[in-house]
Amino acid sequence: MAQIHVIQRDGSKRTIDAPEGEPLMEALRDENTGVEGTCGGTCSCGTCHVYVATNWQEKTGGRSDEEDMMLEALEEYVELRPGSRLACRIEVSNALDGLEVEIAPPVE
Amino acid sequence: MSVIDLKLLQETKSLERCPFPIPAGWFFVDYSKNLAPGEVRNVFLLDQEWVLFRGEGEDGKPGLSDPFCPHLGAHLGHGGTVVGDNIRCTFHHWQFNPEGWCKDVPYAKIMPPVCKKQPILRTLPVIEKWGMIWCWYHPQAEAPQWELPSIPELESDDYIEPRTGHWEVNTAVQEVAENGVDFAHLKFLHGEPEIPPATTEFKGHEIFTDMKNGYIKGHQCGPGLAIFRFDHEGVIATMVSYSVPYTREQTKMNMSFTHFKYPEGTKEAMVAQHLVNHMVGEADGEESAGFESVDFIVWNNKKYRPNPLLCDGDGPILQYRKWFKQFYPGSEDNPNL
Repeated sequence: MAQIHVIQRDGSKRTIDAPEGEPLMEALRDENTGVEGTCGGTCSCGTCHVYVATNWQEKTGGRSDEEDMMLEALEEYVELRPGSRLACRIEVSNALDGLEVEIAPPVE
Repeated sequence: MSVIDLKLLQETKSLERCPFPIPAGWFFVDYSKNLAPGEVRNVFLLDQEWVLFRGEGEDGKPGLSDPFCPHLGAHLGHGGTVVGDNIRCTFHHWQFNPEGWCKDVPYAKIMPPVCKKQPILRTLPVIEKWGMIWCWYHPQAEAPQWELPSIPELESDDYIEPRTGHWEVNTAVQEVAENGVDFAHLKFLHGEPEIPPATTEFKGHEIFTDMKNGYIKGHQCGPGLAIFRFDHEGVIATMVSYSVPYTREQTKMNMSFTHFKYPEGTKEAMVAQHLVNHMVGEADGEESAGFESVDFIVWNNKKYRPNPLLCDGDGPILQYRKWFKQFYPGSEDNPNL
C-alpha cells in the first residue's frame, strides 16, 4: 500500500491507501474522492483528471499520447496545469508513497 | 526436392475439403438497385454477418460494417437507422459513417479522443461499379492493394443489358477458380473434343489465359472477379464471373453475360446470342457441357490435395495455387494450402 494525500474538490484533504501495481484512478474512485473513471482506463472519458503536486511530477513520469489527446480535449472545459494527469495512467508503486494530488474540476 | 508420399496419397481421412481462410480481395456484395437510400440490411458473406446500409437521398453512399457497436455491443442491423450517410445505433444513438468513423455521441460532453484519431467501427471499403456494390476484404483489415479493372462491356450502352445467373456451390472460391487453369478437365468432364491448347500468364494479382488461340480469353482479377471473352469469328460474347465466399466451405457464384448490340437480325447478333446461350447452359445441340451441369458434382464432393499427383498434360495447377497464396496474408506457412 502507498499513502496518497488527496485534495478534494471542496478543498478538504484526505489520505487514502492505494494498492501497489494498480492504477491510481481505481483507488481514487473506490475511495469516493470525486474521480469517476467511467471508461475504465482507456483515456476516453477524462473523468480521472488530477493535478499532481509539483515536487511529485518527476516521479509520476510523462504522459502517453492517448493521455495527451484526452487532456487536450478537456482543455476547453477545465483548467490544465503542468501537473495535469489522468490518474488511470499513473501506476501506484512504492516510489509514490506520500504522493500529493488534487482532484481536478469535473466537465460541466 | 520432394518425393511422392504414398501414405499421403492413400490416407485421405486427414485431408480437408476446404482448408483455406477467407481470401483478401474485392468481392461482390449485391446489385446497387437492391439497396434503397436509407436502407439497413443484415447480410452474410465472407464467413460472417455484416450490416449493409445506404445513406439517405439520391446519391446515398453504401456502407458495409461489422454488426456490433463499438460502444456497448448492440447489433447495428437490428434497430439501427440511417441518418445522412451514417448508421445510427438504436441503443444510445452513436453514429458511424461508411468509413467507420464515429460522427456523433449525442450525450457526451467530450467525444472520446480516439474517435478523432481513427475509425472505431470496422467497415469494409466499398465502391459502386457496374451497377454493383463491391467490398474490399483483408484479414488484417489493410487498405485495398489493387483497383478493380475496367470492363467496357459493363460500362457502355453499346452492349446489351447483361443476363445474370447465380449458383451456390459447396466449396471454397479457390477450388472453383482452379478449374479456370485446369485445361485437361475440359475434355473429360465437359466433353470438349480435345484438351484445348492454352497459355497462362500469372501477373501480380491477375491471371491472363488464352484458350484455343484466342477463342476464349480469360482475365482473373484477384479471387473475386474473372472476365472471359469468347471470340467466334470476330463476334465476341463476354462472361463476367464474380464469386463470393459465403462461408469457408460455401461460395456464391454470380455471373453476367453480355455482348455488343449487333444490329437485330444479322448473323453477328445470332452468333452472339448463341454464345451467351451456350455460356448460360441453354443452348441446344452443344457438343460440350456448360459448367453448371458437370462441375458441381466435383466441387461439392471433392477434397483438396495440397500435394496432388499431377501428370504431363495437366494445366498450371501448382502455379495457380502459388499465385492464390498471395490472398492469404498471415497464412504463408500453412502447409495444408
